[in-house]
Amino acid sequence: MSVTTPLAATTEAAPSKGAPPRGRRRRAPGFGRFLERWGAYLFVLPAILYLTVLTVFPLVRGIILSFTSTKLVNPSGGRPVGFENYEYLLSSERFWNSVVTTLLYTLFTVVFAVVIGTCGALLLNTAFRGRGIVRAVVTIPWAVPTVAAALIFVWIYNNEAGVLNRATGALGLGEHGWLIDPAFGLFSVTLATVWKVMPLVMLVMLAALQSVPQELREATWVDGANRWQSFRAVTLPHITPTIRVITLLMTIWSIRRFEIIFLITGGGPLDATNTLVVNVYRTAFQDQNLGRAAAIGALGLVLSLLVTIVYFILEQVQERKEVSR
Amino acid sequence: MTTNIASVAPRGAAPRARSTSVLMRIGRAILITLFVVFAGFPVYWMFATSLGTESSLYGEGGQPLWPEIGNIGQWGSFLTDVPIIGWLGNSFIIATGTTILSLLLAITAAYALSRYRFYGRGVAGFIFFSTQMLPEALIIVPLYAIFAGAGLLNGHFGLILADTAFVMPVAMFIIKGGIDKIPYELEESARIDGCSRARILFTIVLPLISPSIAAASVIAFFDGWNEFMFANTFLSSSSLWTAPVGLASFLGQFYTPMNQVMFSALLFALPAIVFFLWAQRGIVSGLTSGAVKG
Repeated sequence: MSVTTPLAATTEAAPSKGAPPRGRRRRAPGFGRFLERWGAYLFVLPAILYLTVLTVFPLVRGIILSFTSTKLVNPSGGRPVGFENYEYLLSSERFWNSVVTTLLYTLFTVVFAVVIGTCGALLLNTAFRGRGIVRAVVTIPWAVPTVAAALIFVWIYNNEAGVLNRATGALGLGEHGWLIDPAFGLFSVTLATVWKVMPLVMLVMLAALQSVPQELREATWVDGANRWQSFRAVTLPHITPTIRVITLLMTIWSIRRFEIIFLITGGGPLDATNTLVVNVYRTAFQDQNLGRAAAIGALGLVLSLLVTIVYFILEQVQERKEVSR
Repeated sequence: MTTNIASVAPRGAAPRARSTSVLMRIGRAILITLFVVFAGFPVYWMFATSLGTESSLYGEGGQPLWPEIGNIGQWGSFLTDVPIIGWLGNSFIIATGTTILSLLLAITAAYALSRYRFYGRGVAGFIFFSTQMLPEALIIVPLYAIFAGAGLLNGHFGLILADTAFVMPVAMFIIKGGIDKIPYELEESARIDGCSRARILFTIVLPLISPSIAAASVIAFFDGWNEFMFANTFLSSSSLWTAPVGLASFLGQFYTPMNQVMFSALLFALPAIVFFLWAQRGIVSGLTSGAVKG
């Protein structure tokens, strides 16, 4: 495989380069000997138990919850209702609207973040004066806490006093209700998200670009290739695996992203930004329907698994093409 | 950090760098300027707004594009107008607790996953990875039900437990990446001398991976510092609110003027900006270490 995918990277058996060969054992007295034998479990079990209690167990509990009529006022009560929650959701227009919104938000966020981040990395990978400062400034959005970012953008989008309307008004593009008009809700949230996540793409791509062998690039120049040809022949193939991985990560993170959407629009206007995770939260804590919220969450998890599987299939197809070429 | 171009020694007739035409330089300068404005403006605007007065912010023509530095004295009164100091104190408690708990669990787990081969190692790695895929919004519904039964709602301890569950795996991957890079021979010689695994971990490995530990600490600390959803759902008493919950309470209400809101946001964001820029390299390689190889 040319690309090591996240799943493969963590589940494959080969650890670090310096790891001990299998089956080596040394005599150590007392507790040391015990550690030698069972140490791995002693070291890893606390964390695994912790994750089991706080994520795996709640996940199972959540799936059970999705088959009940549990309400927020009595979180431990609620009677089993079979597939009622699922039947309701699958026939509800609002739910499907939520699925479409999630997919659109993910698509736009990932495409723009990856394109802007990669182009930014290409720009920053050239030598120019003030490069260090530019790099620091364009990294800042990634470091700004999401809540602060949401407050800033809500202020920028403000209908009367917001700077965006002043700018678009001055440019003759007209003033818009960025957070009130359902036509602009998804745009506003996507713009804020891209601003926030684009630097991470840039930093990752910059690291990849700096590992492109300079000799190869120079060789193409000697052979008379122009800038674009050199990019196509050397740089692009070298950074493609990283682009694929960061795209997958960005996709997974976009499907599960909650805070920035919830804080900027709260899922509105008129459900225009009601992605699945926002929908889960609103159904649980505003409509106070824990059972139905859990069902939305379970379906959302199915969606993100589907997207991941589609990604892996595309990856395989692509690889086959590359091998056969 | 020098560029590739600069770091390559000139040899023979090979060009050190391509000559750049004036036109291309101008084009590049424009693109870089646009990029800097796009990334930098919102943060600049937060700073400029915190220096605005109510009449300049909401008045005719709107807030001036240049910060009114002369108003910097108003920051002092904002500190008492808005309960931001108390919120930041609560955030600090959550962040510190999350960091300590995450590091304790992550360091030992990372060492085991990096240095031992044991039955179930793949499953353990998968559990760590899959929590990064799991939406918090999905977990929060059952977690709320569980915490309600266990009496962990509306308290800082429960919040630390929940935050740790989501940031500890990230810290683990960062630290494991650090341990993976240390040659095993170092530990092996210590083991021949009869050094126990635990002593090796604490006296040999930990000092060597201090950059990874620092990056993991920054990630864990600011996850606790920044986390909104669990805090907003679990903490009902306003005296317990963390800064994100308090700041979010400004949304949708109109009596706190924007200069005070932006000042609070600035105070809250500043430590995060400083530490993320400082630990950037370690964090980025750690976040993707499960993903990018080589």
